[in-house]
Amino acid sequence: MIYYLGTYLHDTVETLSFLRLLDSISFRAIAGAITALLFTILFGGRIILRFYRSGQRDISRSNVSFPSTGNQAKTYGGGLIIAAVLLSVLLWCQLDCTFVLICLGAVVWFAILGSVDDFLKVRHGNSDRGLSEAAKLMLQFIYGAIFALIYVTEEFSPLPEGLATQLYLPFFKYPVVDLSWGYVPFIIFTVIAIANSVNIADGIDGLAVVPVSFVVAVYGVFAYVSSHFTIANFLIFPFMPGVGEVAIICSIVFGACLGFLWFNSYPANVIMGDTGSMALGGLLGTVAVLVKQEFLFLIIGGIFVGEAFSVLVQQKIGIKWLGRRFFYSAPVHHHFQMRGLADTKIVIRFWIIAGILALCGLATLKIR
Amino acid sequence: MKYLLTGGGTGGHVYPALAIADGIRTREKGAEFLYVGLKNKLESWIVPGRGYPIKFVRSRPFPRSSDLISYLAFCIVLGLGVAKSLFILLKFRPHVIIGTGGYGSAPILFAYAVLSKIALSRAKVFVYEPNVHPGLLNQIVGGLAHRVGVAFEQAGRWFDMKRVAVVGYPVRQELYHLDCNEAREGLGIGAEKVVVLVFGGSGGARVINEAIVEALPLLQRNRDILVLHITGRYTGGDYNAVEATKAHLSQRGIAESSDNYRRLDYMENIQEAYAAADFVVCRGGAGTLTEICVCELPAIIVPLAGAADDHQASNAREMEKRGAAEVVYQESFWDEGEIHTRVSGTRLACQIIELADDKERRLRMSRAAGRMTFKGSLAAILQELEGLVEGQRPAPLNLDFPQRPEELPANPNALLMHIINYLDEIGGPQALEPRERAYLLYKADRLLVSRAWYEIPLGQRNVGIKLIGYLGYKEQLQLLLSILQDRRRVGAWQRFFGGDYCHNGILRRNVIEYGLRLLQIASPEVKESLLDVLRTDPYFEVRAMAAKILGELFDPDERIENALVAALGDRASLVVIQVIRALGKIAAQRRVLEQLKKFYLHPNWQFRQEVVSTIKQLLERGILLPQDVAADVEQILASAPYFIPEFPLKERLQELAELVRPCNSEAS
Repeated sequence: MIYYLGTYLHDTVETLSFLRLLDSISFRAIAGAITALLFTILFGGRIILRFYRSGQRDISRSNVSFPSTGNQAKTYGGGLIIAAVLLSVLLWCQLDCTFVLICLGAVVWFAILGSVDDFLKVRHGNSDRGLSEAAKLMLQFIYGAIFALIYVTEEFSPLPEGLATQLYLPFFKYPVVDLSWGYVPFIIFTVIAIANSVNIADGIDGLAVVPVSFVVAVYGVFAYVSSHFTIANFLIFPFMPGVGEVAIICSIVFGACLGFLWFNSYPANVIMGDTGSMALGGLLGTVAVLVKQEFLFLIIGGIFVGEAFSVLVQQKIGIKWLGRRFFYSAPVHHHFQMRGLADTKIVIRFWIIAGILALCGLATLKIR
Repeated sequence: MKYLLTGGGTGGHVYPALAIADGIRTREKGAEFLYVGLKNKLESWIVPGRGYPIKFVRSRPFPRSSDLISYLAFCIVLGLGVAKSLFILLKFRPHVIIGTGGYGSAPILFAYAVLSKIALSRAKVFVYEPNVHPGLLNQIVGGLAHRVGVAFEQAGRWFDMKRVAVVGYPVRQELYHLDCNEAREGLGIGAEKVVVLVFGGSGGARVINEAIVEALPLLQRNRDILVLHITGRYTGGDYNAVEATKAHLSQRGIAESSDNYRRLDYMENIQEAYAAADFVVCRGGAGTLTEICVCELPAIIVPLAGAADDHQASNAREMEKRGAAEVVYQESFWDEGEIHTRVSGTRLACQIIELADDKERRLRMSRAAGRMTFKGSLAAILQELEGLVEGQRPAPLNLDFPQRPEELPANPNALLMHIINYLDEIGGPQALEPRERAYLLYKADRLLVSRAWYEIPLGQRNVGIKLIGYLGYKEQLQLLLSILQDRRRVGAWQRFFGGDYCHNGILRRNVIEYGLRLLQIASPEVKESLLDVLRTDPYFEVRAMAAKILGELFDPDERIENALVAALGDRASLVVIQVIRALGKIAAQRRVLEQLKKFYLHPNWQFRQEVVSTIKQLLERGILLPQDVAADVEQILASAPYFIPEFPLKERLQELAELVRPCNSEAS
């Protein structure tokens, strides 16, 4: 909105020509991040209280409870992140850009999916009685399929012609292979996998939100590079006009995540629940596809990949098939809790690892 | 009038049809009959023997497994059956079709559905359901029947109320006119004998045949008992009832016919055996039970384990509750790596001898049995048929809904929760009433033999193992130890990914955690197998649990102590923690301190914590003296990456909630 106001004003009023600043992606990115951050910090307390009054409270899982786990009377506050992101995007992004519409679609769809899940859990008073696994996958699949079709079809795709179905790998300058329609299932898989891995990692206060902000920051840098003609050519990245809006969104999410951490840090009085983790995960998956760096997630999202992998190994291979456990408990942060590490210790160590991984991811800008 | 009867597979479906036919024949002289059934099944030789014409069609039971080939085969075979049935119906042109259930009656009823749609058949359809829980076919064809007769009121729930009539179970008329002396003369049995009729329903039952042969040596000590054993002509799978029983008998050196024992393949007129018998040992099918009730015979019932919805066990329990029968359940036992089910011959023998010796009790039971029958069943069915032909409507049934289910939940995990809650309520397994206990143990046995034995985490065998512990089922200790020591390996793929034995890690852990821990049997053989497990089991949770139970269950003992000290070098931290903890209870020598010293500076703080509590415990037990450890206190590293947070507000709030709780519950 501010973007449109600014363009209108600097086109019509001579004295306001300094508002050309609003054309700059970096300015809007920073402004958006600050907006989201301030919004959450200033209004977060009141919003959380409102959620608490409406009964959106966490019920701790009966079968796993660790004495070191923090304040257990928590509120589901995923809505706080969503509100901050949506508000800031509406204010600072160019809303007629397909990139922005796709990202908004992802946030809204996954937020609704997650909030239905949260609602059911609160309603039944049992955190094992949300949406069934199959229902969740189905809904994620629907979004993935729509997104993939828009992405691959020439008429709707926000990407330059012929680029959409090219597969890029980290450490490689040029696309490895053109998947053509094979890109559709690949996108669906990517989105579902990333969304669920973020959901799984959201287990201890502050565990998911900081690695998400790291990932989003790195993707923001990549989006900025791709959107900038000179830098893209210099670093030999595909030039994608308009993808700069994704960089702004990434920056906004970064701000919102930090603002959320304000309340979510140990001992948390608010947790993001499925609403937040699904929405963030869905958005991350979408962004990874939009900036054509899907495989980069394996590096910068290593925490999420590891968490998801531990669940896969423990549940599907270990318990279902072999009848044994590989970890004391899965996802892997519970394993460390069982090993006798305090929550704060685990969380901060995970942050450190996520930070190192994010730096490694950034290094692939040049090491190719 | 022309009557077409159909229904097949087992006696439970054939005998009611025959009883109805007999009833019609006596009432209506010119009636014509045609029976349509399956080849090679009971009806193929019983029906012609009774003087009714029979035609055969093909059919197959509905596949309960979800593989495509069996569905296809089912569709093709049923299609052929329906095609042939169309011809039969068009040629015979029945006025009334009587279906008594079983998949053998499917082709005719589906063919009728086709013909009635195109107005080529005006027959009236009467469907009869003998069980409490209707079979799948009857649930479907109940919709196209003009009238449904049910043996039990509860079965009416599955059908359209306006067309249902409760008619009971029709038994053959001969059963009402029995004469004991005449029958015994015919069979050549003296009047002073106590005759026990042993039979496994129309098909025969392997479990009963095997158990009675095992019981015979004990029974033959009592001169008065005569066992009349009808093996049945069952030949299915790898079991041939007659041959196997003969072999079993000769293996034990028992004559096939003697003063105490008489074996028969099959009896055409089983009513003679009923007449001669003092009591029976039988299965729990609705047909059999109704017949013995009509004959007012006391019974020892061995319900067929694994019958659909376990209906035989519920039938048997109903009889037991009314004092008309005793129930002997099948038990599971370990046999060369597989878990099978059987009835113990000794137990059966004890029951038989007890009942044979107590005439008073037999009398009470037979009176109770007599009270359980609905004797006007056949008349009621015939009246329904008459009304059907004349086009009258029956009085609609009135049932109360929903019925309170008395049965235990079918889902194994729900069953486990139910039993745990129930035991909590009544105060432990020792407070269980013996009959209730026998039934629950039977449920545990059922789960133990279940086919879904590797399916985790809802594994049925897993739940069976837990139930053994919760129910205090000490008789199955051997089975638990066998599972623990079972060293058969899984396939190469599973081994590659970390699998080990057929009874997988979680099952073995639960054997210790729920089985041995709750049973509380500190016998030498339990000790040996736990020591063996602690040393050799490849799965860490099993070793950890073994160490824990060794500490909890046994008194200080040098062998256990040495084994625990050896296990201190285990590579899994969970095991070491449990071992150190167990040493605190088991260790009896001062040199254990030397072993514990190694952990003073161990990176894993949980080890250090356990060492501290163990030393404290050893001091309290007087194994160590304060001067032994006085210098060590300074040496133990005290830092830990762990703390337990305190939330004073929350705790105060909980205290407050406790205070005001009475008001809250009053308000609600």
